[in-house]
Amino acid sequence: MLAYRGVQKLFESDNGVLAVIRDVTASIDEGEFVVLLGPSGCGKSTLLRITAGLEPLSGGEVRINGAAPDLRRRGQLGFVFQDAALMPWRDLLSNVTLGLEIQGVPRPERERRAAELLGLLGLEGFERYYPHQVSGGMRHRVAIARAYIVDPLILLMDEPFVALDAQTREGLQRDLLDLWQRRKKTVIFVTHNLEEAILLGTRIVVLSRRPATVLLDRAAGLPMPRDPTSAEFVALRQELRELLT
Amino acid sequence: MAKVEEVARVGDPAAARRRRRGGGGSARVVGFNLASLAAFVALWEVTSLLLRSSFFPGPLAVSGTFWDLLVEGDLQGYTLLYHAYVSLYRVFLGFIASCLTAIPLGIVLGLWRPIYFGTRVVSEPLRFIPPLAWIPLAILFFRGLGRYVFLIWVGAFFPLFILTMNAIGTANPSYVDVARVFGADRRFIALKVIVPNALPQIVGAMRAVMSPAWMCIVAAEMVAAELVGLGQLIFNYATLLRMDVVIVGMIAIGVLGLVLNEAFMAVERAVFRYRQEVRL
Repeated sequence: MLAYRGVQKLFESDNGVLAVIRDVTASIDEGEFVVLLGPSGCGKSTLLRITAGLEPLSGGEVRINGAAPDLRRRGQLGFVFQDAALMPWRDLLSNVTLGLEIQGVPRPERERRAAELLGLLGLEGFERYYPHQVSGGMRHRVAIARAYIVDPLILLMDEPFVALDAQTREGLQRDLLDLWQRRKKTVIFVTHNLEEAILLGTRIVVLSRRPATVLLDRAAGLPMPRDPTSAEFVALRQELRELLT
Repeated sequence: MAKVEEVARVGDPAAARRRRRGGGGSARVVGFNLASLAAFVALWEVTSLLLRSSFFPGPLAVSGTFWDLLVEGDLQGYTLLYHAYVSLYRVFLGFIASCLTAIPLGIVLGLWRPIYFGTRVVSEPLRFIPPLAWIPLAILFFRGLGRYVFLIWVGAFFPLFILTMNAIGTANPSYVDVARVFGADRRFIALKVIVPNALPQIVGAMRAVMSPAWMCIVAAEMVAAELVGLGQLIFNYATLLRMDVVIVGMIAIGVLGLVLNEAFMAVERAVFRYRQEVRL
């Protein structure tokens, strides 16, 4: 469904040409939860932005159901940014319904779909609050709901929980898994946290240092829900740690 | 399923309002301000006693003049409040004129920066011409109310234009990306992301240029042969060497400036409640 073939990305600036991604080739099936791991600065976020069509490629190709990424094709993608990026002048409800508003979905339908998701994410009763009035964890829940509501083909998540404390983070990881199990989506989730990767992914892709190539691409192969104290979990974490150092 | 862990920063709305006002213990702040006012008046009194000049009347003499101007009016019978009203009206019209022109232009050129960079050679020199330098042309080509409105417009237009244009450029790139990923077109991004994001800053800019607009009133009124307006009050009585009236006019301009600024800030706070103020 989502295919990368020889993807390459160079950034040109006054300081010269920086090769960020050298060669990424991978093929992702519908319903997979792919965790993208790699050292910081290796181009994980860039790969997500390329997938979304926010960034042009320097070489190779990306195909979503056979077509190149195109921002004009509405409702294909949901993107959860690192900093939640809620619009401060919109209340939580109208932040969640942004994508539907852009697609021209009428208000009653927008609000019906939002109510359902807000319920699933434990946000009911906060529709009229503004982002600055709620906690960081809640803002990230809203960002997830905003991406989910358009029912995207692919959900792209760029280190969405990196700014949260450990406890809030665990709560959000749980809720994201719950949501994903109820409404299966193809997810590409960028992180550099090994526990998070093993906890969430059905498939783990490890990128090398810049310029990035694929170092490892394997099914997680652990039963859900994952138990961080189990021997398999610990073994996989050790394997990934060695790969990344 | 999800437990909403914490509802931080919601808490007690009254306490939040107090915090927004930025006053830890507002009674103390009021007391402090009263004390500094008293100190200022005392310093003024001492200075006038030391100078012993009829051109530098002390607070007592000035407050007597203030009372007379308030109740009986000046030599023509115009009261202080009428002078203030006329000046406020002129400044208001000039200020509205600059808002109606500078803000739309700032938004448009903020969205299409190349136009701004392509016209800088014209706009930048214009920006640095002080409003005072426009007075001769204003005298020749405008009369009556139009002259005041023009001079105040000139004083407020450029700062408001530049501040608006810069505000347009401050949208968090993630907001724009969020909208783009959903397939938003340029129109949606401009009207529903970039402009709302800049709005608090644009209104802040309006408040910021209200001070120079208000201060322009003296210069604008200096050139007219009319008898009303705070600027006229100052210049007409300066020629009579009635410095007590001049000082009353100066104080009126200062105090009205403060009142305008505070009123504007109160409106801003009420309208942009969503805006989280950062105080250090």
